[in-house]
This record gives sequence, structure tokens and C-alpha cells, in this order.
Amino acid sequence: MKVEAVQYGDRKVYSVAAFNQGVAVWLARLPTVWVEGEIAELRRQERWASVFFTLRDPGGGASVVVQMPRGQFDGLRLDLRDGERVHVYGRPELYEQRGELRLRALSIERFGAGDLLAAVERLKEKLAAEGLFAPERRRPLPFLPRKIGLVTGNDAAAKRDVLTVITTRFPPANVLVAETYVQGPKAAAAVVESLSALCQADCDVIVVARGGGSLEDLLPFSDERLVRSIASCPVPVVSAVGHEQDTPLCDLAADVRASTPSLAGKLVVPDLAELQARLDRARDGLRRGARRAFERRDERLETLRGRLRGAPLLAVERKRARLEHAAGRLRALSPHATLERGYAIVRSGSAIVRSAAAVSPGDPIAVEVADGSFGARVE
Amino acid sequence: MTQPSFEQAQKELERIVERLERGDVDLDETLALWQRGEELYRLCRVRLDGAQGRIEELARRATNNNESG
Repeated sequence: MKVEAVQYGDRKVYSVAAFNQGVAVWLARLPTVWVEGEIAELRRQERWASVFFTLRDPGGGASVVVQMPRGQFDGLRLDLRDGERVHVYGRPELYEQRGELRLRALSIERFGAGDLLAAVERLKEKLAAEGLFAPERRRPLPFLPRKIGLVTGNDAAAKRDVLTVITTRFPPANVLVAETYVQGPKAAAAVVESLSALCQADCDVIVVARGGGSLEDLLPFSDERLVRSIASCPVPVVSAVGHEQDTPLCDLAADVRASTPSLAGKLVVPDLAELQARLDRARDGLRRGARRAFERRDERLETLRGRLRGAPLLAVERKRARLEHAAGRLRALSPHATLERGYAIVRSGSAIVRSAAAVSPGDPIAVEVADGSFGARVE
Repeated sequence: MTQPSFEQAQKELERIVERLERGDVDLDETLALWQRGEELYRLCRVRLDGAQGRIEELARRATNNNESG
């Protein structure tokens, strides 16, 4: 097609319509492709020849307006709703009147559960390869959190469960609740925003709680941005999303995974009563230990004193025994034993008579025999 | 002279008892050692009772504080 231009001297000038037409011609040369995205703002009216919707990347990223003739759209019988993931087969087209780019759809396919799972699986592999789910990245939860952040749906049973368990176990707990969308196309972005708001508010641990739901319901919790924001959250995150058998990717990126919201509440605060009891037991043990240490010293000291008291007597006793022993030996050496055999000791005055010449007749002498002594006179 | 610590006093007491029990000390020294031993015992006793009393007092005070607070 030839586009008309007006010549002003050496300048070639197009009208807007001509410009748009020119661009449209260029665009028409581009190939037909498949585009994946989420449906938003679906507009279908009986008096319109076409159906319009916005196709955008999950989490509210880039978007493009899709146009499809109404008859063709109805013929697909897809009954599409906002938030659904689809594959659109089409080509770029310019709405010439306004110079707006559109994706003209030739066909639309709903992105099925199997495809969703496969997409999640691909994302999982990619994030795992980046090390986002590495066990060593997981941080321990604070033992006594000063402020607990809770991201949950408004009026959700999950919220009630977490709060009940937290306040029962640890009544003085300080919980900041961020109610947000937990399903649908806005959920992922909303949860990301809540996480950062709770961090800003100085929470030192954050619980993300959502009850069970369909695969599609839980899909936002496998959203790449949400998973990344959990992994990079400056404080530890407990993920309690879905039921035991569901494993949304946020569970893998979180520091701790709780199989239920109640369990998340349990993990995040200690049991005050139990804590008190443990402290009391520790204190009792400490006192018992101190007393026992004293008792042991006391015993040792008393034993020492007993030995000390006994020691001098023992020493004296031993000396006495030695003395007696010496006395015995002394006695064995005395002349007494000789007298027993019939000998006698004769004394004149105090001197022992050793020679007959030492006495004269008439001298008094004393005679000592074994059992005593008697006096006599020399003849 | 500074007072020996509980442990020092107890150790000296132990040495005295062992010497006395070995019985190789003369009688006068036995008496002197025994008197020194008794002195050390009293010293240990006073230290031990004092410390134990303090512990019990602190424990009682801590318990009272907890119950009133």
C-alpha cells in the first residue's frame, strides 16, 4: 500500500492517519505468535463487533490489549474470566484511529492445570538452580519475637488459627496483621507489598498464612516475584500456605514451612507456661546444686575434723604402746628372772656383796630372793 | 597475715591430719599441730556456714520477689 505524503519544499510530511497507516502496514508484516498472560478487564458487549481484554504478565507486569471478533470469541466457548491464564495466538495490529497497538487474537486457549503445574515446575527448577531453596539459606526463627507480622486474607480461618495459637501460647505477643488478597490476579503483588510493609514496621518474623484451595487459588504463592521477595525478606518467614500435600514455591523459599496455620503460630512463639516451668526447674536445679556443693564440703570438713580429733589420742596411744613394749623388754633384762632360778642378791647397807671379804661376822645383811627379801646376820 | 581461703585452709587441715595419723611427729609437735588443725577447722566452718546462709537468703529473696511481682 502506498502512503500519501505532502511535500513542503524538501520536507516530506504525513498526516496522522497516513503515519498510522504506514506503521500498521509495517506491523502487519510481523509473524503470528503465541503469547501467554493473564486476562484482565474482559469487555464483551452484544452491540460491539469485537471482544476486548487486557493480557498481562502475572503479577501486574507488562500488558497489551487483545482484540478478537465477538463471533469468533463466543465460538471458542471458553467462558473466560479475569485472572485466568491463557495462551493467545495472534499478531500485532495497530488500531489506526488511535495509533494503539493491539494483539489481534486468532485463537485463545485456556492454560490448563497441567500447563500451570509445568510452568510452576519450570520456575522451581530455575529458582532452585539459583540456590533460592538451599537449606543453608534458611535462618532460625527468633526465640522471643518482639513483633510478629502476619500476612493473611481478611476474615480468613487461617488468620484466626494463627492468632489463636499465638495468643494462647504467648499472651504478651505483639502481632501486626496485614490483611491482603490471597487469591486472584492481585494476590502476588499484594502479598509482596504486605511483606515489605511488615518489614518496614520492624517485625522480626513474618508468617504468611493461607488455608487450602485449588491449584489456581494457590498459584499466586508460586509467583516468581512473591517467591523471590520471601527469599530476600530481611527477617525470617514462616510459610503456612495450603494443605500438607500442597507445596507452593513460597514454602520452599521460606525459612520454615508449617503444614498448617496453627503450626505456624506454634513455631513462632514459645509456650509461656512451659517456658516458665522450665525456668523454675532450672532455678530449682541451680539451688539444689549449690546446696549439694555445700553439703559435700560440709561432709568432707566434718570427716577431717573427726580424724583430727582422733589423731592426737592415736599418736599418744601409739607412743604408750611403744613404751609398754620397751618396758616389757626392760623387764626381761632385769635380774629378777635370775632370782627365780634360786639365786639371791646379798646387800650390805646399800652395796651388793660381791666378795666374802666384804663382810665380817655379826654384820647385818639383806638377802633378796625372787618373791621378796629378808634380813640375816653373818656368822 | 592474711587469712587463708577456704580451700587453702582445708588443704592445710588435710595435711595436718595426714601427718598426725602417720604418727611420726613428736609429742609436743603433735599438740601444736592439733591446735592448728582445730583453728583451721573453725575457719572453714565459719566460711562455709556464712556462704550457705547467704545462698539461702538470696534464694528466699528471689522467690519472694517472683511471687509479689
